[in-house]
Amino acid sequence: MNGGFVMRLRNLTTPGRLLGLALLIFLAAWPFLGATRFTLHVASLAFIWAVVASYWNLLSGYSGILSLGNLGFFAVGAYVSSVLAVELGISPWITIWIGATAAMLIVTTVLGLPALRLRGIYISLLTLAFELALPSIITLLGDWTGGGIGLLGIPTFLDDIQRWQAYYLTFAFAVVALFVLYRIINGRTGMAFVALRDAEDFAGAIGVDRYREGIKVFAISSFVTGMAGGFFAHTLGSISPGMLSIDQFLMVIAMYMLGGVGTFFGPIIGALVITFGNEYLRVAGSLRLGLIGVLIVLTVMAFPGGIMQLIERVRDLVRVRFKQLKGASDVA
Amino acid sequence: MSALLEVRGVVGGYEDIGVLHGVDLEVHEGEVVGLLGPNGHGKSTLLKAISGIHPATGGEIRFQGEDITGLPAHEIVERGIAYIAEERFLFADMPVLENLQLGAWIPRARARYRENLEMVYELFPRLRERERQHCSTLSGGEAQMVAIARGLMSGARMLLIDEPSIGLSPGLKKGVYESIERINRETGITVLLVEQEIDYALRLAKRIYLLKRGRIEFEQPAAEADVGAIHEAYF
Amino acid sequence: MNEFFAALWSGLMIGSLYAIMAIGLTVIYGVSRVFNFAHGHVALIAGYLAWLVAFELGASYIPGILVALAVMVPLGWATYQWGVRPLMRRKEADFATLLLTLGLAIIVQFALLEIFGPRVKALPEFFSGSVNLWFGPISYHELSLVVISVAIMAGIWAFMTRTSLGRAMRGVASSVHGARIVGIDTNRVYGLTFALAFVLTGVSGVLLGTHSYMTPAIGWDWMIKGFIIVVFGGLGSIPGAILAAFTLGVIETMVTLYAGSLWIWPAWLAVFVLVLTLRPQGILGGRTA
Repeated sequence: MNGGFVMRLRNLTTPGRLLGLALLIFLAAWPFLGATRFTLHVASLAFIWAVVASYWNLLSGYSGILSLGNLGFFAVGAYVSSVLAVELGISPWITIWIGATAAMLIVTTVLGLPALRLRGIYISLLTLAFELALPSIITLLGDWTGGGIGLLGIPTFLDDIQRWQAYYLTFAFAVVALFVLYRIINGRTGMAFVALRDAEDFAGAIGVDRYREGIKVFAISSFVTGMAGGFFAHTLGSISPGMLSIDQFLMVIAMYMLGGVGTFFGPIIGALVITFGNEYLRVAGSLRLGLIGVLIVLTVMAFPGGIMQLIERVRDLVRVRFKQLKGASDVA
Repeated sequence: MSALLEVRGVVGGYEDIGVLHGVDLEVHEGEVVGLLGPNGHGKSTLLKAISGIHPATGGEIRFQGEDITGLPAHEIVERGIAYIAEERFLFADMPVLENLQLGAWIPRARARYRENLEMVYELFPRLRERERQHCSTLSGGEAQMVAIARGLMSGARMLLIDEPSIGLSPGLKKGVYESIERINRETGITVLLVEQEIDYALRLAKRIYLLKRGRIEFEQPAAEADVGAIHEAYF
Repeated sequence: MNEFFAALWSGLMIGSLYAIMAIGLTVIYGVSRVFNFAHGHVALIAGYLAWLVAFELGASYIPGILVALAVMVPLGWATYQWGVRPLMRRKEADFATLLLTLGLAIIVQFALLEIFGPRVKALPEFFSGSVNLWFGPISYHELSLVVISVAIMAGIWAFMTRTSLGRAMRGVASSVHGARIVGIDTNRVYGLTFALAFVLTGVSGVLLGTHSYMTPAIGWDWMIKGFIIVVFGGLGSIPGAILAAFTLGVIETMVTLYAGSLWIWPAWLAVFVLVLTLRPQGILGGRTA
């Protein structure tokens, strides 16, 4: 993405921060506020997707590397972690780290190195090819991966884990991962990424090496996304190549788009909306497909900035109203 | 007698950057007028506004008495203005002849295709030899010839030429200028020329305008031009 | 040995069908720089429409096909005018048009699913009977498919090189600014390009519908194969797309013969990855982004 979307991260005004904090406290207390087990389960998934969408945003929205393959990173992390846990009986607490590392190594060597020598749309195509190839590879490695049927009986983090415990685990993961993301974006690395995206020549002049920084972003993004995959697998208990289906792919794109590309909270909001919407709209069947399509088209045509753009507009409107009222009362 | 081209109070720019802040100039039929000024102060932007490539956001542009402000580029070509850009924008992977054929795209030009082609080949014999060659393989001087020739193929009444000699050796620069001078002399075509090379501009043009900071600073007949003042205006 | 030739014929035949689809895709990209992710679904629309008009509504086969293709013209034009054109002036136009066509593809799939259901449909063959060659029989239908495809390819080539509209399209592909400078109405050219490309795609959809099956989801497969062909051949290059289509068609059938159909997708994707890593601009060096 080139410069069309502004980073709102720095401009987190006090009301915004308060709102964010309030949300955090609410989420932390939710299990005790009467949320059903189903809701907690959906929320757990939403947290995982929020991480995936946010780190996809890091790669594409912030750094301008238009990847279409992040779901692949997710799947690699999920499968490596699950296979190790199932076949070798290693504890999930350890395998998620191995899964994350595997995702990082594979993606960085197979994708990162060649992709960064290409321009724009070719990177998208290459990462897409990677993701399309994975289901075939998973099927071919069927002896370990369970092939097309999938892998069942994946050990969970705790024996007889309760929904609320899974909830807190994924919540903690999301909070830590997003906090790390926040620090990255606001640190020197983050500025280097944005410089890469917006002003390549300038970046070169101040010593930012596109290749090196690009590899870093790939590595970070794939590591965390791979770990999210691990959380996904060990929370659900079973995975299949279906996680790489077009449906899933479209949903993650929708999350990323709906919330607002290139913003910090956008992908998070998008993930929450889409995940909850998806679960509660399950009854609609293929209508869900049509709705996502309409959603994507509407968002692209009318609201490229997603929900965040909407929030901005509302906030500006409120501000103007507030000033008007204040002005009126001053006169009176 | 009203001018062929009248530019009044034209305002324009890119995205959030305003470049032109109210430009007034006029060009009379058959004249060669030079537009001088430091780089980045709006010379190309003005030509792009007149030609419709990047329309103005304010002001008025009249050609042959008709208001053409804001018209899309293809309609301005139909009205009789041909823009020869600094970047040239040739169809690089197509041969010279096809570039010229496309130059005669508009209906009026298609009707006179044969004659215009002959005229162009007579002006630039080298192009006849290079007819089948892809433009990407041409030298800088030849590419410039194609750019000008392609503009002539449209049967235009007026040419907007943006820095035709840029990047060319002194010998080639001279050749380009001789061609422009010859076209104007033989066909009476009007020319508005943007140029960095002040000497050539003064030799070719009848009048010059100096554009600085998006406004016309002064206008002088070329013969009486105060070269010192012009150079100073650049710095 | 006979099987080898049978597979070769089969590969060339399917390659010719893929070629028509790929030409539509590469023309759109070459002229307007838009990646049409809805390409496979557009083909499906034509296939299903032909089926609908010819068999559900009782017209006969050829009128059905003609109606389907006729619909492709306004469909392409409208997709450009109302969908792509507003997005083109944005800075992130590439990404936006990608997402737009993606969204449209999903909507089309949903619509097809609702109207026609998920069960496979096939269009009837044009001719019955076959002729025996030394390696086995080839059906008259398959022959007709190849003849039609080659005729279309020749027609496209003539159009692009001999007509002024074709030249204008090539001009816009070469330099948009140059095209505007010579007085070409680029919006009209874009609209016509989309219309033409959609018709081509529609033809390939009908032809493919007679040879393999149609279900709403197969649109993705067709689209992805189309992309791999176009990248392999060189983005924007019609001869490249044709060459690549025949090559990949043969690869597909050879892989099926010697390794099994499970290896079809891995083979396609291996080619894709190889091209992108070794020669991203494709065999006939089209446009790099």
